[in-house]
Amino acid sequence: MKIGISGKGGSGKTTISATLARVFARQGFPVLAIDGDPNPNLGMALGLSVQSLEETPAIPRGGITTRVQDDDGKMRMILTDTVENIAALHGIAAPDGIRLIIGTKVETAGAG
Amino acid sequence: MGEIVSEADKITVMDMEASLEHLSRGTVRHVDVLLIVTEPYYRSLETARRTLPLARALGINHIYAVVNKYRSVEDEKAVTDFCRDNELEIIAKIPFDSNVTQADLQGMSLYDFNSASPVVGEVEKLAVTLRERVPLNNSSATKILSKPNC
Repeated sequence: MKIGISGKGGSGKTTISATLARVFARQGFPVLAIDGDPNPNLGMALGLSVQSLEETPAIPRGGITTRVQDDDGKMRMILTDTVENIAALHGIAAPDGIRLIIGTKVETAGAG
Repeated sequence: MGEIVSEADKITVMDMEASLEHLSRGTVRHVDVLLIVTEPYYRSLETARRTLPLARALGINHIYAVVNKYRSVEDEKAVTDFCRDNELEIIAKIPFDSNVTQADLQGMSLYDFNSASPVVGEVEKLAVTLRERVPLNNSSATKILSKPNC
């Protein structure tokens, strides 16, 4: 089951995302948490320390995403591997066995 | 330990950016469930209302509102009325809970700070409801490259 959580800034979506992830993980489900917010806080909300988050190396951008053209001509980014494989290779270990991927930990490739 | 559980049992929780960009770009087009967290005030509800048609257009099957931080019976009624009038189905109602800010001040996760807090309790109920409504095995990583609505 893939669950997306949206809402205005400050609505509490990060707290709910993290708590939902912890609840499912403690029930024994393998849980992957993805922080898609440009101002990432999911790691701390899951219970990781600032230090451990800062020490996490960035994910090489070219390694996991590529640009493709949609049928309607729009360009978009897609992942080059399954989310599961990316999580296994680049994910951060969070409490209760959760794997965490932080979107902004993907290296930005300079200007343009 | 090995792979005791199957791939189909995996649960992915994606905390999305605040704007509607994520939806319009289609980066979440393959989520099985979209939870729209909304607070009981107008601008937050308005964002939730505008998110609904975008999510539907992406072919997301399960779209629900999660009412968060309500402080009174009046709050709860106002949100419930708004959601009913705008065809937003509410899947959870989470009260304002000072444990959230206390946990944050101490740099702790809410779960580690107080796993018996009202928010954790309501999220536990939410997890049960999600499992009842959404089959666990209807998502797969291979769908990333496929088109919606096909």
